[in-house]
Amino acid sequence: MTGLVRMGALPAAALVLVSGVLGVQLANGGGTFEPLRSADPCVARTVTSQAGGMDGLTERLVLLGIDGAACRLHVSREALTLELAQPGVRTDAQIEALHQGLLDAVQRMKDDGTLPPASDLVDEALDNADLNGFVEAAIRALPDSVVNAALKVDDVLIRTINDLDLRSILANLDNEQDLYEQINAAVEQAVKDSLADRLRELLP
Amino acid sequence: MRRAVGPLLAVTVALVLADSAVVTLALPDILRHLDTSVGQVAWVLISFNLVLGLVAVPIAVVFGRAQPRFFSAVGIAVFAGSSAWCALAQSIEVLIAARCVQALGGALALVGCLELLVAKYGARRGVAAWVTAGVVGTATGPFAGGLLTQAFSWQAIFVVQVPFAVLAVPAALAVRAAPELSPDRHRPAVRPNLTLALLSAALTAALFLLVLLLVEGWHHSPGLAALTVSVVPVAALGARPLARLLQPPAQVEVAVGCFLIAGGLVGLALLPSADLVWTIAPQALVGLGLGLTVDRLTSQAMEMRLPRVRHAGWTISARHIGVVVGLAILTPVFTADLRDAQVPAQEAIASLVLDAPLKPDDKIAIAQSLGRELTQQQGQVPDLHRAFETADLAPEERPAAAQLERDLDEQLERAATRAFRDSFLIGAGLALLALLTVVAPHRKTTS
Repeated sequence: MTGLVRMGALPAAALVLVSGVLGVQLANGGGTFEPLRSADPCVARTVTSQAGGMDGLTERLVLLGIDGAACRLHVSREALTLELAQPGVRTDAQIEALHQGLLDAVQRMKDDGTLPPASDLVDEALDNADLNGFVEAAIRALPDSVVNAALKVDDVLIRTINDLDLRSILANLDNEQDLYEQINAAVEQAVKDSLADRLRELLP
Repeated sequence: MRRAVGPLLAVTVALVLADSAVVTLALPDILRHLDTSVGQVAWVLISFNLVLGLVAVPIAVVFGRAQPRFFSAVGIAVFAGSSAWCALAQSIEVLIAARCVQALGGALALVGCLELLVAKYGARRGVAAWVTAGVVGTATGPFAGGLLTQAFSWQAIFVVQVPFAVLAVPAALAVRAAPELSPDRHRPAVRPNLTLALLSAALTAALFLLVLLLVEGWHHSPGLAALTVSVVPVAALGARPLARLLQPPAQVEVAVGCFLIAGGLVGLALLPSADLVWTIAPQALVGLGLGLTVDRLTSQAMEMRLPRVRHAGWTISARHIGVVVGLAILTPVFTADLRDAQVPAQEAIASLVLDAPLKPDDKIAIAQSLGRELTQQQGQVPDLHRAFETADLAPEERPAAAQLERDLDEQLERAATRAFRDSFLIGAGLALLALLTVVAPHRKTTS
């Protein structure tokens, strides 16, 4: 074996081995095996829900609302969710951003036609409402067109959001019963107010 | 008995040097069993290497004037006794103290076994046996420790050392060796010892960080992790035949070994997924590099230098101080990176849960369960399986929840792998520094 071969053979073999290993790794995504990056909350995303009815509507509203709030606060949706999930005092900026985010979400769902008509929700709403049996049966008997003409879902949602005490809700996230009662009361009040305003509009 | 003397002494050398990293895979078990902190449990590793690194040279100096067989027998007996003490330790403080004594006995045993092996086989074969046993011990330590931890317990690592060491005591006493009374003629070989120290620091990165990634980051069992890191010693065995085939000059061989270790560590920093298969090729590079460098450098540091034990002491010291320096540099880096990885990991988890194809109630149930687990498992890479087990889910939602669990586990693996990247790259930098010490031009000496 010549001196040159003795000098160069092992370094050349090592160079080939190292380049080969690193080349194969980089070609297969080496260096990019990192946690999922948070998406820009200001870019509209498609939001779906596995649930139907009120639950599905609420989930889509909250997901879009958090996106909007995160965009306003210049943080990721995930960072805001984790922050809100922790106990502690909420800033005015957070409350305001969440409020506006939810209102934007209603507008977006209205614009893209993903808000269900009131008639799709009325049976579920009546199941949850504490109404006189006679009144409940009468409302159920109303044709869908009448229900949809009397109640606009976007209007009810906007009234509900404006009526909700978001600070109190965020402080009681762990208390499901309390949360449910607060939201139910706000929805009921919003339906009543919406109907009353509708009647006022119909009266001369 | 006479024929078993040499192998028993070589096994003792391998055991002492294996102890440098043997507990690496057992650290998570020790942490849990002795109810201690990550910072304290690291001292089980650091204390042994630090004491061995600090006392090797002074012991070698004293040793030069003593009867090797008595000194060696005492060292091996202390090593055996303290190994048993390690196995019986019921607190981290006691375990660390026992490890310090073990290192002290180990240092005596190492320098003693060198003289006894030389007396038994002659200078050339004796030193070669001592060096080879050391390389085998260094390379197989984490593998053996992982298997013992998986099969029995972390205490088994120390228990199995006792009978070997106990048998080595009469073996040491059976060798008639005179003290090496050669004058202090040669200065320590700075360059090979410095290279050895830097490479030891880099190899610490390879073995210590990889087993931590496998056990803590990817949640593999110590046994599987041990099998995985066995690639390093297996590849190291291939280094000698390769060197014999290509016959490179010694300096080229060492330089190439450093380059291979650096390349392997960069490979470990750039893993494309958490599949164990991807760790094999980088580990093989590290193993080949280890096989080409450590024994060659140890021989260079001792070759034609007298007194032999003193120069052996310098190589032991260089290697173990190198390990301590490696741990001192890398531990704060990867613990800080692991801490920093928590936020992106939590955000990735939040993102997947928010978008999971589950009903809202089930999402909330899983999120609450995950929150509890993450809070309980602060400071370590969490195991999310219990969160899914305890979440109250409808049966039809189970498949989607199982998919979510797999996706979340992948995010944790991604976060942990990313957190170790910088440490592996620093390890590669240490190996490249070692390469520099080899290729840097020698200072010309005037006569």
